[in-house]
Amino acid sequence: MKINRKLFPYVLTLPALLVCVGILIPFFTAVYYSLQRYNLKMPHMKGFIWFDNYVNIFTDPSFWNTIRVSLTYTFFTIIIELLLGLGIALLLAKRTWLNNVLGVLLVLPLMIAPALASLIWRLLINPNFGVVNYILSFLGLEDFTWASHPDTVLFTLIMVDVWVFTPFIMILLLAGLRSLPRQPFEAAELDGVPEYYKFFRITLPMLFPFILTASLFRLLESIQQFDIIYALSQGGPGESSMVFQVSAYLQTFQYTNIGKAAAMMVVLWAICYFLCHVFVQQWHKLKIKTKGELLQ
Amino acid sequence: MSYLDLDNLSKSFKDDKIISNLNAKIEKGEFFVVFGPSGSGKTVLLRLLSGIMMADSGEIKMDNQIINELHPEERDVSMAFQNFALYPHMKAYENIASPLRAKNKNMPENEIHEKVNEIANLLKIGHVLNQFPKELSNGQKQRTSLARSLVDKPSVVLLDDPLRNVDAKIRFEMRLELPKVLKEFNTTVIYITQDFREAMALGDRIAVLYDGKFNDIDSPKNIYQNPSSLTTAKLFGDPTINNFDATIKKQDGFVEVDVNGEIFNLKRNTKIQDGKCIVGIRPEDIVLSNDHSENSIEVEFRTKTPLNLRIVFLVRLKNGLELLCSTTEEESHLIDENKKMYISFIEEKSHFFDIETKRNLE
Amino acid sequence: MSINVWSILKFFAYVAIIMFFLFPIAWIFNMSFMTNDEILRKVPVLFYEPTFKNYIGLWEGEIAIEGFATMYVYFKQNLINSAILSVGSVSVTLLLGVPAAYAFARYKFKGGEDIAFTLLSFRFAPALLIILPLNLYFSEIGLYDSYFALIWVYQLITLPLLLWIVRGYFEDISPDIEYAYRLDGHSWFQSFWKISIPLAKPGIAAASLLCFIYAWNNFVFALILGSSQIQPVTVGALAFITASAIPYGLIACGIVVSVLPTLILALFIQKYLVQGLSLGAIKG
Repeated sequence: MKINRKLFPYVLTLPALLVCVGILIPFFTAVYYSLQRYNLKMPHMKGFIWFDNYVNIFTDPSFWNTIRVSLTYTFFTIIIELLLGLGIALLLAKRTWLNNVLGVLLVLPLMIAPALASLIWRLLINPNFGVVNYILSFLGLEDFTWASHPDTVLFTLIMVDVWVFTPFIMILLLAGLRSLPRQPFEAAELDGVPEYYKFFRITLPMLFPFILTASLFRLLESIQQFDIIYALSQGGPGESSMVFQVSAYLQTFQYTNIGKAAAMMVVLWAICYFLCHVFVQQWHKLKIKTKGELLQ
Repeated sequence: MSYLDLDNLSKSFKDDKIISNLNAKIEKGEFFVVFGPSGSGKTVLLRLLSGIMMADSGEIKMDNQIINELHPEERDVSMAFQNFALYPHMKAYENIASPLRAKNKNMPENEIHEKVNEIANLLKIGHVLNQFPKELSNGQKQRTSLARSLVDKPSVVLLDDPLRNVDAKIRFEMRLELPKVLKEFNTTVIYITQDFREAMALGDRIAVLYDGKFNDIDSPKNIYQNPSSLTTAKLFGDPTINNFDATIKKQDGFVEVDVNGEIFNLKRNTKIQDGKCIVGIRPEDIVLSNDHSENSIEVEFRTKTPLNLRIVFLVRLKNGLELLCSTTEEESHLIDENKKMYISFIEEKSHFFDIETKRNLE
Repeated sequence: MSINVWSILKFFAYVAIIMFFLFPIAWIFNMSFMTNDEILRKVPVLFYEPTFKNYIGLWEGEIAIEGFATMYVYFKQNLINSAILSVGSVSVTLLLGVPAAYAFARYKFKGGEDIAFTLLSFRFAPALLIILPLNLYFSEIGLYDSYFALIWVYQLITLPLLLWIVRGYFEDISPDIEYAYRLDGHSWFQSFWKISIPLAKPGIAAASLLCFIYAWNNFVFALILGSSQIQPVTVGALAFITASAIPYGLIACGIVVSVLPTLILALFIQKYLVQGLSLGAIKG
């Protein structure tokens, strides 16, 4: 009976734990693959080659291109989404009728599958009938190349990412803004502190934990983005929008080079792990600083 | 043969010993009050008895059977929680009916109805049975929770400071009403409180819990009159008992007390040995007067304040020792603070404690 | 004066935001009621006779195009697949996740936090890292292209989501309420079923809906682990758009039908969205 009580929580978590194990196995398998020469087309050549795959990808200029594209994509999506999300959150902070309705409606892009969002935009920017092209023509922008040209494809992808995920930042920061304590603002008002000072010295610092949380989520998703890019450009034209996961996908299913793809994924995993670690540390520091008042 | 037998119970959290080697024998039908300061482990004790927590060592015997390992639902024990613990998604009726539905699976609906209404009427909540807990007042919640713990006539009812979270008026009413209601059920009650007045008003016996064990188990009167230690004496009484170090010397029919050179006599018949000890005198056992009499001591008035329908005076002896004296309001009107004031001590109403162990020396 | 400039700027900000974020959705809805001819005009038409031909065609699976033979589309199967996968995933997640969430909330047990965080960390691991080996495994043991296998992999997303949201709701229930119920003479399971679950119901419902949305919106799992037989709308719609000669109105219609369920559900969980999206890190 007494043992029963101690074991009970494990009994409850066991099913979830099994799923967990079922996922840890592939994870370690992937790490193992990354140390092998493993190409589905040449099964007889399979063999253990230590870090050759890693050496290979890091001496391959196209992998460096992948890193560059991925980081560019991540950097711009996060910066734009943060600024835009913060701006919209500030605009909607006051609880008016219009703001409440917009707060609900603006979440809709986030609820659309990213892959489908890409398809929506593909129809909107179609060179033959895209309505966006028509609108841009009034602004003097004729025949914008969108995803069909290496110079504009990243811009197009970032725009779709911004369209889908800005609402994520917006809704989190809006919740943050609306939960801020009133007193500091009232005190500042009494002291006649100017608006910009109030924003930079009160609003922003108090909002920081929310910004950090939202950025962490976005950062990890953005650097791994696959759906939007695969559905819109599949890494092209050429390799101009080749990000980590799209590259690994093509390595696997076009070139059947499992070893190389696995090595790339392990590198991406390491980057994510590192970023996550740094962020969680900052987050903990902040949590201690605000004594858990803002973040539960 | 006692009904409920706690034998060397111990429970600790990490290195924190909450209950250590606690012993008690409780009779069937007894109203047993567990009294102790906050943090003394009263609630933990109840949780051990109810099966919510498991004791580290020791035995709990009920009707001669060890029940340590039984789950809460397997023990014939019910409990009213301090925070009421009502089921928020069920109406008061269903809250009270819950034990009936559980234990007697086949109890017909009309019998449940009858029993719920009976206990509800007894506790005067018959009119709110159709309301959800959030619609009830604190007093009604408390009665609902009591009704739930009593409806199935359990052998042992555990009441965890049930009057703590209700306002003063309801507390006063319930203090009068509760013993009557519980007597009707002829059940063994273990009642937790940190209010010594409540303990004294309700308990057949009081067990005083601190340092992880019962330090006194006795009738309210005996504990008040003859506390086992200074700590117990301090817990019973508001304002708390006066205590000071002194050297005593037994004389014929009285005890000579020497406090830093100030010597006075206490009328006591005692077998206590001469020497150093702590003298304890309750504020209400000191008589205050403007008139000098035999054995009275002149004091200086410091301040006074009303407390619990009495007036408490703070006075100072010549040697600097400060004492609290408590008088009724009528008595206090007879005293003029601007005149000389004297105190004297009521016969046989003083206590002597060991300086080291604080144990009662008698 | 400056207030005027400020409000004009604000007005334009509102217009720009609404245009950028909401116009695309509106226009896709619009397109789904157009014929191919109306869509293909260089200057978009605003006034036209709305047609349900696209919807009917999508449902019936065949559409007649002037000058061509009848076309067959299999989008209905994608919709059914999406429904099976999403409902299946949420059901499995509820079955596995609710008891585990309860355990994490109620008991401090050795390794408990580690398990909880490991499950959470999968949410942030690169999906391909895990499905790539799974793809090879599944092919070997014949699980490739089965609903069962896909639903299992979907747990990667839905399980941590539910676990971390529902855990918070269980934590908010006073344990005393459960103990009280057990002291009334009910077993643990009865108290779990009659007390804990009903009290955590709003959280469980919100988490399930969010899980459903995430499952429905998933793309990469089915792309890699399933053939067109079991692929959901996300993958199906991409195949749809890449195939030539399918009328654009039909594509728009397919997209509309695919996003509609999640858009509608999103309106129901407004209150819980912030907490859900941040996995409980921020209480909305």
